[in-house]
Amino acid sequence: MLFKKKGVLAVLLGGLASLAQAQVGSIPAGFTPIFNGKNLKGWHLSRTTHQGTTGNFHVEDGAITLQQHPYGQGGVLLTDRKYKNFELYLEAKIDSFCNGGIFLRSTESGQAYQVELMLPQGTGNLLGEMLPISQSVQATNLAKVWKPGDWNAFRIRMEGEVPHLTLWVNGEQMWDVTQPKNDFTAGATEGMIGLQLHWSAVYSPAARAFSMAGSWKPGGAHRFRNVAIRELK
Amino acid sequence: MKSSNWLVGLGLLPVLPMLAQTPTFTNSIGMEFVRIEPGRMVVGRFQPPHPKRGEARGLAWTDADYQLAEKLATRDASPGFPVTIARSYYIGKFEVTQAQWKRVMGSNSSVFQGEKVSGNADQHPVENVTWADVQVFLKKLNRLEKGRTYRLPTEFEWEYAARAGADDDIAWAEIRQMAQLGTRTTNPVGQKKPNAWGLYDTLGNVWEWVQDFYNEKLFANPVPTRSGKQHVLKGASFVGDVKNATYLTHAAGPGNGWDVGFRVVMETN
Repeated sequence: MLFKKKGVLAVLLGGLASLAQAQVGSIPAGFTPIFNGKNLKGWHLSRTTHQGTTGNFHVEDGAITLQQHPYGQGGVLLTDRKYKNFELYLEAKIDSFCNGGIFLRSTESGQAYQVELMLPQGTGNLLGEMLPISQSVQATNLAKVWKPGDWNAFRIRMEGEVPHLTLWVNGEQMWDVTQPKNDFTAGATEGMIGLQLHWSAVYSPAARAFSMAGSWKPGGAHRFRNVAIRELK
Repeated sequence: MKSSNWLVGLGLLPVLPMLAQTPTFTNSIGMEFVRIEPGRMVVGRFQPPHPKRGEARGLAWTDADYQLAEKLATRDASPGFPVTIARSYYIGKFEVTQAQWKRVMGSNSSVFQGEKVSGNADQHPVENVTWADVQVFLKKLNRLEKGRTYRLPTEFEWEYAARAGADDDIAWAEIRQMAQLGTRTTNPVGQKKPNAWGLYDTLGNVWEWVQDFYNEKLFANPVPTRSGKQHVLKGASFVGDVKNATYLTHAAGPGNGWDVGFRVVMETN
């Protein structure tokens, strides 16, 4: 019996290892695509995020492509559906000096836990978007596995009313953290998956705003493919 | 003789229509209004600043990047379009409160009440109300206050009152004085600095529904669209940012729900 249990454990561990090392370019077994590769059916733009409400979000060469429109205005692309406990898999190809992120349990206005996407520094860090989160984390091992100028695979697990979050990049675990509390304003335990493109200019010089030009290089893009989810109980 | 009448007598204050009627009004359930006089404004002016080489610090941009920024910012800039507010109207000095909503509707769907807020939630703005819910409120308010006509402001009426005479965007420093931003809950109405025409919380606290349909563009059309999937929201909320807590922002529902409320217009007779 003990042998049998060990055998089951070995198979389970083997399965997890193969999932972790899944080839970039294909959705791992057990995940359901939430992007059809052709259009943005099942997704919508947030019309209340401060990042912008009219971003140029479209599908190009089978990838969700986020670009600013008009100049300086970004945005947040959200799934129509909300998810509670889940693993998210996606592959991202991101231009340098363009700040974006993967939003987790996002509200309609883009208040969310966020895995940052920013090169040369910041990618993989856990932050809050319009949400002071209890515990931020840095992906200190990212450089070990990151493939510059190429597609990189992100797998994020989020579960629990008090969120427990884990990030793997290209199969390597970056961090595993349980927040000390649920940080959401209205105590949400579910939310949308979001893809963020940062704003970089205000409407007018009269705002006398500080410059955010460094958050999005003109003409830059973030691209996502093989976006899939595995819902957990 | 009042000093203002004396000045008018000398022809120094050409504002007789304004003095002829009360500039403020309080209705039977304690909703306070400010009278807004006709005028003009430019809506949809978009002049995004972009960095020039030598000015920006810490930007890892090439010459080509700076040139592209200038090209894109110039391409997308817009002078806006003139809007005339032809008729005067009264607009809520404050966002509609939970107490006022309860008085009219007999219920309260707000998220931020009871233990969710410190102190009495009655003076917090009502939220978690859809555009359709607001129409029901207005119907009941109109029945309650016979002889008066209440409705949501049009987007242009809202923006004209929120700008309070400003012809360009509002400075961030001023937004921080006027807007409830970055708080964990809604806040009692009227705690921050009012705008130049005496309206509170036009920016921050809760998003405010207006009458118009949303056109899915950066700004309203010169002739507002007559159909759409959503209605326009103005003014940003307590989870907004100084970036969009400006009267220029043209947003839309559904929003988060728990940070969406409204203020009311009362028509002048």
